[in-house]
Amino acid sequence: MAKTLLCEIVTPERITYRNEVEMVVAPTPDGEIGILPLHAPLVTLLAPGELRVRYNDGKDVEWFAISGGYLQVHEDKVIVLADDAVPSSQIDVERARQAKALIEQRMAELKERPAEEREEIASCIEDLEWCEVQLKVAERRS
Amino acid sequence: MPSLRDIKRRISSVQSTRQITRTMEMVATAKIKKAQERIESARPYALSMMEVLGNVARYVQGATHPLLEEHPERKRVAIITLTSDRGLCGAFNANILRLTEGLVRDAEQQGAEAEIIAVGKKALSYLKYRGVQPVAEYRDISDKPTFAHARSIAAHVIPAYAEGRIDAAYVVFNRFKNVAEQKAEVHQLLPIERRVVEEEEDVLGPKPEYLFEPSPAAVLEKLLPMYVETLIYRALLESAASEQGARRVAMKSATDNAGEIITTLTRSYNRARQASITNEIAEIVGGAAALEES
Repeated sequence: MAKTLLCEIVTPERITYRNEVEMVVAPTPDGEIGILPLHAPLVTLLAPGELRVRYNDGKDVEWFAISGGYLQVHEDKVIVLADDAVPSSQIDVERARQAKALIEQRMAELKERPAEEREEIASCIEDLEWCEVQLKVAERRS
Repeated sequence: MPSLRDIKRRISSVQSTRQITRTMEMVATAKIKKAQERIESARPYALSMMEVLGNVARYVQGATHPLLEEHPERKRVAIITLTSDRGLCGAFNANILRLTEGLVRDAEQQGAEAEIIAVGKKALSYLKYRGVQPVAEYRDISDKPTFAHARSIAAHVIPAYAEGRIDAAYVVFNRFKNVAEQKAEVHQLLPIERRVVEEEEDVLGPKPEYLFEPSPAAVLEKLLPMYVETLIYRALLESAASEQGARRVAMKSATDNAGEIITTLTRSYNRARQASITNEIAEIVGGAAALEES
């Protein structure tokens, strides 16, 4: 019987997910990191991307869209502190698509203006990334 | 002496007011519960964040970060004022605005300018009345604040502090003590107080060796702004819960007062009615006596 990890995905607004799992694969700025039971204590930043957990003897996999944050491993407990996290089953694809279109339109507008409004472009890029991550994770739905 | 009909009209007007205040009281009671739940569900995040921050701080000894640096001079301070969008909640907003005013005065006495980030319609209308232009304004978020709001508010102070445009940042909000009590408080956001990242080894005891990806400093860099955002988010949540608490108490006493007024009015209504009956009897008796005599 494989050992398990307790995985908690916490956003500022609530605990999104909490379950005993066998493996957590999370996106970091330097690439994906896989965490198995008995992992050494670790704190890492997370990049926007897909996070997956494997549970039920490796038979089930659940996908989450993560908008960045960080992760702490301590004594077989994985805490994911994400700015935003949505399980693949709850992603509103239509809304993400609309949001993406809106942001792209806004960015096109901003690009024509002088450099003063660069700040807004940065936040647009971030939002755009988040929409894309959501759309990508939504495709993982079986 | 007001006529019977006047008194009756006043009674029914007070009665309908009481009905409204009672309803508002019940609505506020229901909303407090939701707001409290929201505070509760924000707690795990804040706790884990503090834990990680403590861990990181142990590895980045003598950490330096623009948000931790205290500026030698105070030339400009930012004040985030959290008020409600709606009134009828007792001294809720008055307390906040009074504290804000005190902060502004203190800053000015030290020769610093104050800039205000106003949250809530009440703060906006107050500032307008005082002829102060807030640097940023938010409305219609006091009912259901989200983390995105907190982030957007934080975006006004964090870069400004890091670049040295402001030298301190405060948030003024109502702390939610319990359903019947809230306290207006000032909390210093920036610079981040040293004790947050200072290690408390004796208390915590030996800790396991942590690995940091990509590096302790990079993690800290990301964590500190998030810490500020979490503080603001919490202040927003507490303010929302406090608003409902204050409104409930205000509406309860309004309902009670209305009840009292109705009692007094009913009493004087009965007295007036009796007086008019007595008067009528006296007239009849007087009339009969006059007839008998003739």
